[in-house]
Amino acid sequence: MKSNVLKLWCLALVVAMTFLTACGTKNDDGSKTPHGEQEGGNGQETSIELNFMHFNVKESSEGGTLAFYDAMEMFKDNNPNIEIEEEILGHDAYETKIKTLAAANELPDLFVIKGSMVSAFVESGLINPVNDILEQAPAWKDGFMDGVFNDFKMGDNIYALPYSNKSTHIIYYNEDIFEECGITSFPASWEGFKDAVGKIRDKGYTPIALGNKGKWVVGSCILSTLGDRFTGTDWFMSIKDRKGAKFTEPEFVDALAAVQELAVMGAFNADMNSIDNMQHKTLYYGGKAAMFFEGAWAISSISEEAPQEIADVTKLAILPAVEGGKGDAKAVSAGAGWGYNMNAELQGEKKQAAVEVFKALTDEKQAKISMEYNAMPASNPGEYDESKLTPLFKQYADIMAEAKSVPVYDVQLEPAVIEVMNSGLQELLIQATTPEELAKKIQKEYE
Amino acid sequence: MNHKLMRPKTEVLLGLLSPGLLIYCFIVVLPLFVSFRYSLFDWSGGINMEFVGLGNYIDLVQDGDFWFSFKNNVMIIMLSILGQVGIAFVVSALLMSKLLKWREFHRVVIFLPVVLSAVVIGFLWTIIYSKDMGLLNWILKALHLESFIIPWLDDPRYVIYTVTIPLIWQYIGFYLIIFMAAMQSIPKDIFEVADIDGATGIKKAVYITLPLLYDTLKVAIMLCIAGNMKVFDHIYVMTGGGPGKSSTVMAQYAYDNSFVMFKLGYGSAISIGILVLSLALILLSRKLMGGNKNEA
Repeated sequence: MKSNVLKLWCLALVVAMTFLTACGTKNDDGSKTPHGEQEGGNGQETSIELNFMHFNVKESSEGGTLAFYDAMEMFKDNNPNIEIEEEILGHDAYETKIKTLAAANELPDLFVIKGSMVSAFVESGLINPVNDILEQAPAWKDGFMDGVFNDFKMGDNIYALPYSNKSTHIIYYNEDIFEECGITSFPASWEGFKDAVGKIRDKGYTPIALGNKGKWVVGSCILSTLGDRFTGTDWFMSIKDRKGAKFTEPEFVDALAAVQELAVMGAFNADMNSIDNMQHKTLYYGGKAAMFFEGAWAISSISEEAPQEIADVTKLAILPAVEGGKGDAKAVSAGAGWGYNMNAELQGEKKQAAVEVFKALTDEKQAKISMEYNAMPASNPGEYDESKLTPLFKQYADIMAEAKSVPVYDVQLEPAVIEVMNSGLQELLIQATTPEELAKKIQKEYE
Repeated sequence: MNHKLMRPKTEVLLGLLSPGLLIYCFIVVLPLFVSFRYSLFDWSGGINMEFVGLGNYIDLVQDGDFWFSFKNNVMIIMLSILGQVGIAFVVSALLMSKLLKWREFHRVVIFLPVVLSAVVIGFLWTIIYSKDMGLLNWILKALHLESFIIPWLDDPRYVIYTVTIPLIWQYIGFYLIIFMAAMQSIPKDIFEVADIDGATGIKKAVYITLPLLYDTLKVAIMLCIAGNMKVFDHIYVMTGGGPGKSSTVMAQYAYDNSFVMFKLGYGSAISIGILVLSLALILLSRKLMGGNKNEA
C-alpha cells in the first residue's frame, strides 16, 4: 500500500516535470533581460543607462524602421551621456515577449506597446499616463495629428506616444488582372465588388490572396473596415465604452456573414489559414492573385520586394460602400497601433532622459524624415520633400486625405475578446461556424 | 548481497543528492505550487490579484474549448501510441532480424529527427504540406494523384491527423532505441530454441519478443502519454492551433489564455487541469496494462 502511494507521487512528479520544462523556457526568457534598475541607484555614474526594447529590426527596409534608426543615431550623437542599450526582436516575437515580461513584472525601461495592451498594463500598474510629459512640452504635444492618441486612451489619460499613423486596411490590386477579367475600374459598390471577385475567380486567378495564419489579418485588415461599413462607428464606440452595444446586433452579424460569403464564393486561396501575410504577398507578387488586403505598411514591401512588372500595375483602393450599411463609405480602419512608453518605476533623471528619447522619436523633425522614407508619421511633418515619395505612397496619401479614420478592432478591444474573435474568424472562413454563433461567442467573452 | 557494504553513509548520500534535488525542487516542485496558487486568482499579471477561490476550476470544467483541446490531445496520444510505439516496435524487430542490410545506416537515419528542435520540425513540415510548393503535393502530382490533394493544414476535419504525422515521424527513433536496447537484452538462446521449434520471423516477434518486452512497452506507452500531453511547439509552429481552434492542444490553450488573452489565473488553472488529466490518463493506462503484477 505504502509503495503504491509512493509510486503515485513519483508518477505525479514525472508528469509535472515534463510540463514544467516547457514553462521553464519562458521564465528563462524573462530573467535574461537586463534590469536597468540596479545600476541607476548609484549617483556617481555620469552616464544614464536605459534599455530599450523594440521591433525595428535592423535588416528591415521599411520606411518607419529607417526613420527610427536615423533618429536614434542623431539622438545618440547629441546626447553622449545617455547610453541606450537596445534589444531588438522581430515583430511577432516582440509581442509575445513584452506580454511575458509584463506578466513577470520585468519590463525594460523603454518599450513599445500596442493599444490593446494598455488596459492590462494599466490595471497591473506597469505604466503611467504620459499626459504630464506632454503638458510640459506644448509644442511637441500640438505637433501630433488629430486622433492619434485614441488607441491609447482610457478616459482622459493617454498611455503611449504614437510614432506612426497607419491604415490597417488598404486593398492592393493588380490592374492588369482586373482589366483582363473585364473590370475597368475598381468596383464602387459591395455588390459590384463581389461581382468582380466572381469574374476574377472564373478566369482562374485567386481573387484575394489571404495569409491568416497569424489570425490577425482578417480582423485587422478586412473586418475592421468592413464591419464599420455595416455598423457605423458609433456602434464600436459604444462597444468600447461599454455603453450597451452588443456583438450580436444584426449589423455586426451581417458583417461577419459578408466575410463568410467571400470565403464561400472562393474569393480566397484554399490555404488561407496556414500561410502568413508574407506568403500571401508572395502569391500576389507571382501574379497568381488579383488583390490582397493589408495595412499601409505593405506599401514599402511592394516597392522593395515585388517584381517590377507587378509593382508597376499595383493600385490602391479601399472597400466600396455597402448598400444599406450604417457606416461611412470613406471610412478606413486606421490608427497609431503602437506607441512608446516607459516603465512606471522610472524616476528622476532616467525618466527625463527617457522623455528626451521619445521626443526625438516623435517630433516634427522625425515626422519629416519619416514622411520622406514613405512612412506615415503620427506628428505633422511640416514641409517635406514630395519628390521623395513613391507613386504608391502618394496614392495612399491621397486616399487617406479623403478618408475618415475609424478604430481598428484588434488594437482597441481587450486581448481576450480579440483572441476569441480572431480564432472565430478562422473558423468562419472555413465554414466551421456560423456568423450568429460567432457573434454570440464574442459577446459572451466580452461580457 | 553486499548491499550494506557498498552503500555510502547517509550524510554522503544526502550531500550528493541535494544539489540535483534542490534544482529540481526549484524549477519543478516550487512552480507547481506557485501555479496552483495563481490558479485561485483572477489575475492578468502585475500587482492586482483578485481571489476567486475555485472559480477558475468551475469555469474550466464547463469550458467546451478546454475539453475540445483535451480531445485533441487524446487523439494525438492514440495515434502516437500506434504510430510512434507501434512503428518503432516493428522497425526494431526488423533491425534485430538477420534479413536487414545496412543496419547502422537505418538506425542513424531513423534516430536523426529526434535530435532536431521541434521548431525546425514544425517549419520543415509546414513546407512539406505547403499548397503550392510543398513536397507532398509535388509527389502526389508527379504520381498523378491530384485527387488526393487536400488543404493539409486548413481542413478542420484532417488537421489533427496532419499535425500528428510530424510528431510520430520525429519520435519513432526515440522508442526505437529503447526497444532495441531491450531486445538486445533478451537472451539469445530463447530465439535459438524458437528457431529449432520452427518459429518464423513474425511468430518470433509476437510470441517471444512482445511478451518479453512487455515491461519496456509499458514504460514506452507511459512516456508517450506524458510526452504527448505536453505537446505544443510543433503545432504552434505549423498551425498556431488553427484553423479556428481545430488543432489546439491543451498546452496551447493554456498558452493562449495566459499570454495572448492575459488571463494568467485561468491559464494556471488550465495547467493544473492538464496535470490532473495527465496523471489520470497514465494511471488508467497502467490499470489497463495489468498494473504492477510483474514488479517485485
